[in-house]
Amino acid sequence: MSTAERYLKPEVVRQIKRLDLRAQFIVKGFLQGLHASPFHGFSVEFSEHRKYTPGDNPQDIDWFVYAKTDKHYVKKFEAETNITGYLVMDLSRSMAYTYRQELTKFDYAICLAAALCYLMVHQQDPVGLITFDDRIRDSLAPRSKRAQLGNVLSVLSKLSPSGQTEIAKSVSQVAAMLRHRSLVMLFSDLLAEPEPIIQSLRQLRHRGHDVILFHILDEAEVAFPFDGMVELEDPESHETLQVDAAGFRSDYVAELNSFRDTYRKECFQSGIDYVALDTSMQFDKALVEYLANRRMRC
Amino acid sequence: MGFFNLSLLAGAALAALPIVLHLIMRQQPRHLEFPALRFVRRRRDANRRRLRLRHLILLALRVAAICLLAAALARPFIMVSAGAWGGQEAPVAAALVFDTNLRMEYRHENRSRLEAASETALWLLPQLPADSEVAVVDTGPGAAIFQIDLGAAKQRVERLQAEAVSRPLVEVLPDALELLRKSELSRKEVYLFTDLTQAAWPREEVARLQRELAATEGVGVYVIDVGVAEPRNFSLGQLRQSDQRISVHGRLRLSAELSNIGPGGERGVEAYLLDSAGTPQMVGRQTLQAAENSQLPSEFNIPAPDVGSHQGYVQIVGEDPLAADDRRFFTFEVQPAWRVLVAAPSPHYDRAFALTEALAPTAARETGQARFACEVTTLEDLPQRELREFAAVCLLDPAPLSDFSWQQLRDYAYAGGGVALFLGPHADTQGFNQPAAGEVLPGKLLRQARYPDGNLQLAPDDYQHPLLRAFAPLASSVPWSASPVVRYWQLGDLAADAGAVIAYSNTDAAVIERTIGAGRAITFTTPVSQLPAERAWNYLLSGGDSWPFFVLLNETMLYLVGSADVQLNYQPGQAAVIPLDDTERIASYLLMTPRGDPLRQNAGLEGDALVVTATDWHGNYRLRAGGETAGLDRGFSVNLPEAELRLDRLEDDALDDIFGENEYRLARDTDEIDREISVGRAGRELYPWLMALLAVVLGAEQVVANRFYAGRGEKSNP
Repeated sequence: MSTAERYLKPEVVRQIKRLDLRAQFIVKGFLQGLHASPFHGFSVEFSEHRKYTPGDNPQDIDWFVYAKTDKHYVKKFEAETNITGYLVMDLSRSMAYTYRQELTKFDYAICLAAALCYLMVHQQDPVGLITFDDRIRDSLAPRSKRAQLGNVLSVLSKLSPSGQTEIAKSVSQVAAMLRHRSLVMLFSDLLAEPEPIIQSLRQLRHRGHDVILFHILDEAEVAFPFDGMVELEDPESHETLQVDAAGFRSDYVAELNSFRDTYRKECFQSGIDYVALDTSMQFDKALVEYLANRRMRC
Repeated sequence: MGFFNLSLLAGAALAALPIVLHLIMRQQPRHLEFPALRFVRRRRDANRRRLRLRHLILLALRVAAICLLAAALARPFIMVSAGAWGGQEAPVAAALVFDTNLRMEYRHENRSRLEAASETALWLLPQLPADSEVAVVDTGPGAAIFQIDLGAAKQRVERLQAEAVSRPLVEVLPDALELLRKSELSRKEVYLFTDLTQAAWPREEVARLQRELAATEGVGVYVIDVGVAEPRNFSLGQLRQSDQRISVHGRLRLSAELSNIGPGGERGVEAYLLDSAGTPQMVGRQTLQAAENSQLPSEFNIPAPDVGSHQGYVQIVGEDPLAADDRRFFTFEVQPAWRVLVAAPSPHYDRAFALTEALAPTAARETGQARFACEVTTLEDLPQRELREFAAVCLLDPAPLSDFSWQQLRDYAYAGGGVALFLGPHADTQGFNQPAAGEVLPGKLLRQARYPDGNLQLAPDDYQHPLLRAFAPLASSVPWSASPVVRYWQLGDLAADAGAVIAYSNTDAAVIERTIGAGRAITFTTPVSQLPAERAWNYLLSGGDSWPFFVLLNETMLYLVGSADVQLNYQPGQAAVIPLDDTERIASYLLMTPRGDPLRQNAGLEGDALVVTATDWHGNYRLRAGGETAGLDRGFSVNLPEAELRLDRLEDDALDDIFGENEYRLARDTDEIDREISVGRAGRELYPWLMALLAVVLGAEQVVANRFYAGRGEKSNP
C-alpha cells in the first residue's frame, strides 16, 4: 500500500480537523496515487495543444501538428464546456450513525463532498451545495471561484444530520430547482423505500442531469457484526426489533446485497452512476468512480 | 416394561430445567441503534421461525438427554417372554418337559443326553420359588400331572429313562400347556429339555402347538438344549426282509443301510440268528468303509433253518455314542413247501410241466429244497378235490367249467385261497362269459387278439405290486421283449374289484388280479401250458431270455399262497397280530419281552390271532404256550422307527418359527439358564441401550449447538 493510499483511509482523514485540509489531503493524496495520465480527462480549461506525454491516448495525437512540427501534440480539450456540479447531501438522522464511534456516514459524505468540491473548483467548474432531510434545507448556488470552496466547506461544517428522511421528495425538488444540465452528486444512505427514490432519480436524469449516487452506509450496516440477542432501534422511526444477531447475519447481508443490487440495476438502466460505499472504505474508490464517470460523459 | 429403581425415574423431572431456562432465563437483548432496520425487518419472520426451530431442537435434545439419563438410572426392563410378571420370587406353575426318546441316550462327555437333562432339571428344581407347582412330563405314554411337591418332582426326574415308545416333543408340549392352564398360579413356565434334533420337532405337529401356545397366554417358554452340536454316530437303517414267511430250504434276504453322521470309518455289520436256546449264531458279516456323512447298503442272505418261527438281529460291530440304532431285529417263519394244485387239460402232466418245473424244478424237488409241492390233476377231476388242502390252485388253459367248479373255486378263494388262471386256446367266449365264471374271472372274454409279428410283449409300467417287487431293483433292464406274446385273450370291462397288474405293450391287460373275499385270483390272458406241437400263443417260457417270466410265476405263486401276508415286524407301541392255525388255539401264553421278563398273557380267543399290545420296547418278542414239543412257539420283532433316531439338528431359526421370535428363551448350561430365567422373569434390561442412546443424543446436541453458536465469538463488541 502506497503512502497516499494509506492516507486516504477515513480514520486517517478524520484526524484532520479542518475541512479544507481534509479536502486537500484527500484530493492530493488521491492524485499522487494515480498515474499521471488520467489527470487531463476531466478538465475543460486547456483549449490548446499540449505535448504528448507517455500514457496519453494515442488517438488524441494531432497528426496535422505532427506533420508540420514533427512533434507529438494532443488536442483533446478544445471543445469542452464547463459543467455545474451540485453536491446534494442527505441530512437525515440515520446519516449520523456510526458503530465504531469514529466517522459517521455524514462525516464520510462531507469528506467526500469536500474533496470533490475541491477538485471541481480547481478545475474551474462551478459547484453548488444542496442539503435536505424531509425537504430541502440549505442550498448554495454554484460558483467556480476559489472562494466557493470555503463557502461550501463552511456550510458543510455547520451541518448536523437530525431530520426525517424524504429522499424521493427532496430529489424531486432538486430536479425542479436545477435549470441547466448539471452534475448532481447525491450523498445518502438511501434508507427509505427504493421505488420512489429511483423514480425521483429517473426524473432527475430525464431532465438531462448527470447523476452520481454515492450510497454511503456505515460499516456495521454492511457487515452486521453484532452478537447474541440485540434489540435494534431505528433512530428516525424509533421502531425496535429483537433478533439473534449471529443467526441473522447471513440473512441480513443477503438482504442488503439484494437492496444494493436493486439500486445498481435500476441506476444502470437509467444511466445513473451508483457508487456503493461504507465508512470503512477508502475515499479514492469514490473519487475513481467519479472520475471514471466524468470521462464517460466527456 | 418395568423399572428396577422406579424412584430414580423422578430424575426425569430435571428435564424441566432446560425448559425453564429456555422460558425464563432468556438472554436480555442489548439495545442498539441501527438505522438499517429495514433490512432486518424483511427477513425477520423467516429467521425467527428458523431460530425458534433450532432452539426447540436443541431444547428437545437437552430434555431428551436428561430424560434418558433418568430412565437409564431407573434401570428399565422389558419382558421378553410372557408370564413373568409379579417379581422373581412369586411361585410358578412349571412344567418340565423331557424328551425321553431313545435318541436321548446319545452319550457325550460320559453321560447320556437324558442324564444331562436330568442333572440340569435337578439343579433347576431348587431354583424355583417356594410353593411352586411342578409337573414332570416326558414324551412316553402317560398323562401330564402336577407332582405333589418339589421332592416328588425331583424323584420323578431321577427315575426318568429313555423309552422306545415316544411321542415327538412337539406333540407332548400342548398337553403340558393344557395342564398349566389349569393351575391357579398366575406365573406359568415351561422348561423343555431337548436335544434339538429335527426328529423331536416335526413340522407337521407345529401347527397344533402354536394353537395351544396362542390359547395359553402368559407362559414363559425355556428351551434347554442338552444336544450335541456336532454328533458322531453310526446307525443301521430300517431292516428290509425279502419275506416274512419262507419255505423250508428257502433263503431270507436282509438288507439295511449303514448310515453315519460325522467322520467316516470302517465298520463291521453282522447278522445273527438265534438258535433254539436263544443263543445268537452269526450267519453273516460284512465290513464297510463309510465316508463322512454317508450311507452304505449292507445285505445278508440267510438260508432257511428248520420249520418254525426264527428270530435274529443285524448289528454294527463296535461301540458308538448312540447304541439304540446299532441293532435291528427280525423275525421270520419257515414252513414246509406250499402245496399247489395244478389242473390242466389232457395230457395234463405234459401241459403242466412247464409251470411245475418253473415253481419246483426237478433238481430242487429231489433235494427237498423246492418251495412249492405241485400236484397235477385234470380239469375234470377238479370237483372231486378238496381245495382247502392246497395253498394255491392253478388252472392251466381251462375249457369251460361247470358252474359247480366255478363256485368251488370262488368259495376256495373267498376263504383265503389263491387261484391262478392261465387262459388259452381251450377257452371260449360262450362258456367263460357265464355268470358262475364271472365270479372268478376278472371280466368277460371278448376275442382272441393276434400279434403274429412278435412285437407284443409284457410291459409293466410300475413295479410296486408284490408280483413285480422282485424286478424293482432292475426294472429298466428286464428283457421282457425277449419273450413275445403272439396271441392272448382280450377282456372286456374289468370287474370293480379287479385290476390289471401287468399290461401288454399295447396296453391291453396281461395279468389281472381280482380280490375275492379273503383270497384272490390272478388271471393270465395267455397260457403257459401249450405243447410243442401246438401253435404257440407266446414264448414266455421258451423265448431266448425267459427268466423274467420264470421269476414272475414264482412271485405270483408266493403272492397267492400268502407268504407276505403275515406281519412279524412292528414298531414300538404297535399292537402285534400273530395269526394262529386251528391247531394253535390256546387260552394263555407266555410273552418273553426283549428285557427278558416273561409276561403271562390271556389269549382272548375272539379270532384266529393273538393280539399283543405290550410292545413298548424294541427287540425280539417270543410267545410260548403248551410246552416245548407240540405247543405254540411264535415270535415277532419290534424295531425303532429310523426317523426318530436321526440326530440331525434343527436349523438355527427353526425355534423362532415355532415359538415366534423373542417368545422363548434358549439356554445350554446352568449359567445360561440362570441368566435366561432371570431375563425371562425380570425382563431384559435396557440400561446399555439407553446409555448408548444418551451418548448419541449428547453427540447430536453438541453438533447442533456447535452449528447454532458457530461464529458467535468471532465478532466482538466494540
